[in-house]
Amino acid sequence: MAIRANPHLIDELEKYGAQDVVKCYHCGNCSATCPFSGDVFVFPRKSMRYLQLGLSSRLQGNLEPWLCYYCGECSEECPRGAEPGETMMSMRRWLTARYDFTGISGLFYRSAKAELLAIVLVALLTGLGLTLFGMAQGDINIYDGPGAFLPAEKIHVFDWVMAGVLVVLLGINCVRMWWYTVGADKEVRIPPGEYIKQLFLVPWHFITQHRYSQCDRKQPWAVHLVLMLSYLTMLILIMFFLHRVQHGPAIDWKAHAFGYLAAAGLVGTTIYALAGRVRKTWTHYQHSHETDWIFLVLLLVVSVTGIIQHVLHRGGWTTAANVVYIAHMMGVVPMLVLEVPFSKWSHMAYRPLAMYFSTMREKALLAEEETEERPQPAAQTA
Amino acid sequence: MNDECRIGVYICNCGTNIAKVVNAERVCHRVADLPEVACARTYKYMCSNPGQDMITQDIKEHGLDRVVVAACSPRMHEPTFRKALEAAGLNPFMLEMANIREQCSWVHDDPAKATAKAADLTHAAVRRVARHQPLEKQEAPYTPATMVLGGGIAGLTVAVELADAGQHVHLIEQEGRLGGNVGRVDLTAPYLDSARDLLAEKIVQAETNPRIDVHLRSTLTDLQGFVGNFTGTVTHQDGSDTEFPVGSVVVCTGYHEFDATRVERLGYGKHLDVITSFELEQRLRSGRLETADGRVPRYVSIVHCVGSRNVKYHTYCSRVCCMTALKYGHEIKSALPEAMVTDLYVDMLSFGKGGEDLYRRTSELKTMFLMYEKEDYPVVRAAEAGDDCGLLVQVRERLSGETIDVPADLVVLMVGMQARADSDQVARTVGISQDVEGWFIESHPKLAPVSTPTEGVFIAGCCQSPKDIPDTVAQARAAAAMVLGYIAQGKVEVDARYAQIDGDLCSGCRVCNELCPYTAIAYDPDEGRSDVQSALCKACGTCVAACPSGAIAARHFTDEQILEQIEGVLAWSSSQP
Repeated sequence: MAIRANPHLIDELEKYGAQDVVKCYHCGNCSATCPFSGDVFVFPRKSMRYLQLGLSSRLQGNLEPWLCYYCGECSEECPRGAEPGETMMSMRRWLTARYDFTGISGLFYRSAKAELLAIVLVALLTGLGLTLFGMAQGDINIYDGPGAFLPAEKIHVFDWVMAGVLVVLLGINCVRMWWYTVGADKEVRIPPGEYIKQLFLVPWHFITQHRYSQCDRKQPWAVHLVLMLSYLTMLILIMFFLHRVQHGPAIDWKAHAFGYLAAAGLVGTTIYALAGRVRKTWTHYQHSHETDWIFLVLLLVVSVTGIIQHVLHRGGWTTAANVVYIAHMMGVVPMLVLEVPFSKWSHMAYRPLAMYFSTMREKALLAEEETEERPQPAAQTA
Repeated sequence: MNDECRIGVYICNCGTNIAKVVNAERVCHRVADLPEVACARTYKYMCSNPGQDMITQDIKEHGLDRVVVAACSPRMHEPTFRKALEAAGLNPFMLEMANIREQCSWVHDDPAKATAKAADLTHAAVRRVARHQPLEKQEAPYTPATMVLGGGIAGLTVAVELADAGQHVHLIEQEGRLGGNVGRVDLTAPYLDSARDLLAEKIVQAETNPRIDVHLRSTLTDLQGFVGNFTGTVTHQDGSDTEFPVGSVVVCTGYHEFDATRVERLGYGKHLDVITSFELEQRLRSGRLETADGRVPRYVSIVHCVGSRNVKYHTYCSRVCCMTALKYGHEIKSALPEAMVTDLYVDMLSFGKGGEDLYRRTSELKTMFLMYEKEDYPVVRAAEAGDDCGLLVQVRERLSGETIDVPADLVVLMVGMQARADSDQVARTVGISQDVEGWFIESHPKLAPVSTPTEGVFIAGCCQSPKDIPDTVAQARAAAAMVLGYIAQGKVEVDARYAQIDGDLCSGCRVCNELCPYTAIAYDPDEGRSDVQSALCKACGTCVAACPSGAIAARHFTDEQILEQIEGVLAWSSSQP
């Protein structure tokens, strides 16, 4: 069956940051340069073609944008300045919007104003809620223990509720991703056993970002890994070791050492990325979508307020510590609520899933080819 | 055998070209013993000045009356050695060459056999040259007026060039207007200049220059005579004939566009909104780019290679369609900024100055390019109810491997060029040949691109093969330069080698009339016999072989000369050295 070409798809992708896609004339230099482009997944050229021809359904079922880590070599090699690397980036944004069942993601990517408004709104609600809650049951001068303005054990309940909601939202989007890229694909059938056998790939790629490390350029991978591990460390400390890091004034070095390292990692890498985007040091920093800036600024605000709040608390300025804590939460809540299921942070789930799905798909395709090549006696006699 | 001959034989080593396989000394030794050979020598480079001087010197000293040079092809150095003979006061036709390079040393690797063959060929040349007769070259005056066939951009350019150089031109145009196919076009690729501006100046010059006689609605119906001395009969619309004496004829008859109804899949003639590139030009010029029912098209689809690069229609590339299609991308976008343009191509041939730049600019206008397989034309069908377009173009897209339906309100077919329907008539009238596709054949595709084997008849522009305006104008000016070269000489040298008909033996059967590739033989009904116009004859020998009465002989290729040569080859064949 023929697929309808949608000449407006390029216009749509441009809102997600694609540019100069029309300049591509398919010489294939990009795919030749890319160390990941292989026999089954040929990119970025194939994705560029789908986009040029407006084949929305093909693009939606395409895992390839997630297999690219945007080292930028393809854009540098492109003889026409068609920016294949940036196009892959914009396709990841577009796919994120496609996977999201609420439609919020698409709204944020197409309109920075809407995203900023939502962030401000959630921040204000958080600030207002926490202030009212604190005033209702505590003293703003007390940080910890009885009469605390925002008692840690109660906030922790809120943490877990929020985490639960976010996991459900992101989980639904992940199921949609599976359906678009693997489930609905009639071409390839993946045997159920494979799902179990290859499942280890998800945590493996999540923790190590092994594929990223295979890019010719190692520095972006290292920076990304430090950022991710710092964030993960902080998350684990807060979710599971809160009792060891919350109370002062003593410093529990066994736990805090991790916290300080993570804080340094977060601030360092965020500033590195922001400075890189301002000065356009790397190819993948040349073009910044509004959502890239929002994400980095939020992360920096959260990290810095977290550090200040910790210093104030340990220094004994408890009133100030409470105020800064509210400011910190006004950054944390919008960052997590809006970015994890609907925006840039969803890639922490989509990327390892894409490695998982693509490995199974590739294996299934190669297995099929093998059975096709084998001589079939029944067909010969017929 | 003519024992009174005194023949000099010169065997060339051609550096090592001949010497590496053929033993020239042995060849020399063998022919030296022949009774009619007065002297035989070898030399490193016979064509060099010392080599030529040696021949001239020998002719004088030994009283030679004939010369054989065993060296390269006569195409290469026959004129050189003829000059050497002339320098010694000998008639240049008393020379015969044996080609022992191309026919021996370059094609054989057995030295003994190659040397034997070289000796045979040299012996044959010796036997032949003994039968040579002195021939005299003729000269004829050159009529400076020129006839130009076709008033398109090529014909106009030739006419204006010649007239500017002070020569008289008869410009013959079949249609009622000048301008040809370029006159049907709006803008030109790649710089989007107006075609009308290009033409207007030339047309005004042609119409106002007193040295150019423009004959509209006229055709050349007959051409007699030979280079420098033609008489062209031009038939006008009212049926009257005019005869013009001209020295040269420049054929600039252009092309016809391919008939798109032949490709059924494209739906031309079936769907009203499938139009040809020339029909789009008309709409662009009129400023009304609409569908058949008057709607503004939202989707325009352009299909390349219609009739070109296809074994069923024409195998060649029409050269201008890719660039023209890219130009349409611009014109449609500037006329209808909201319209989506799709471009279905086989290979994008955006060659030459400005071509790649136009391709890039058209890409940037968001033209969607789809690549289809040569000979797998897209299929145009009416859109279904509820579609936002009138037509759907189904194409098997090569770069994605997908079968894709492209929406279209207007489908533009880039119809290729083909030889004009009347080109064989033109070819017959002026005496030139056509290739399988009907294009006129030039003398040499690279070194003589506007000359034809018929001297005095030149070709320029698309009648020779599809080409764009710059190439056409370049050819036109080249043809004008060729004509001016002849006019500057003021006379034309006629080859001394030509066929002669013995009037007593000719029965008037006219077999030769039809066979002559140069239309050099005319039948005289009063005398009841045929006659060769020596200036037109190229001495190819076709008529000589065909004449049932044996009435025709070619000067310098007489039966006895050829038979003597054959005997010369065979004489030693049983006695290998």
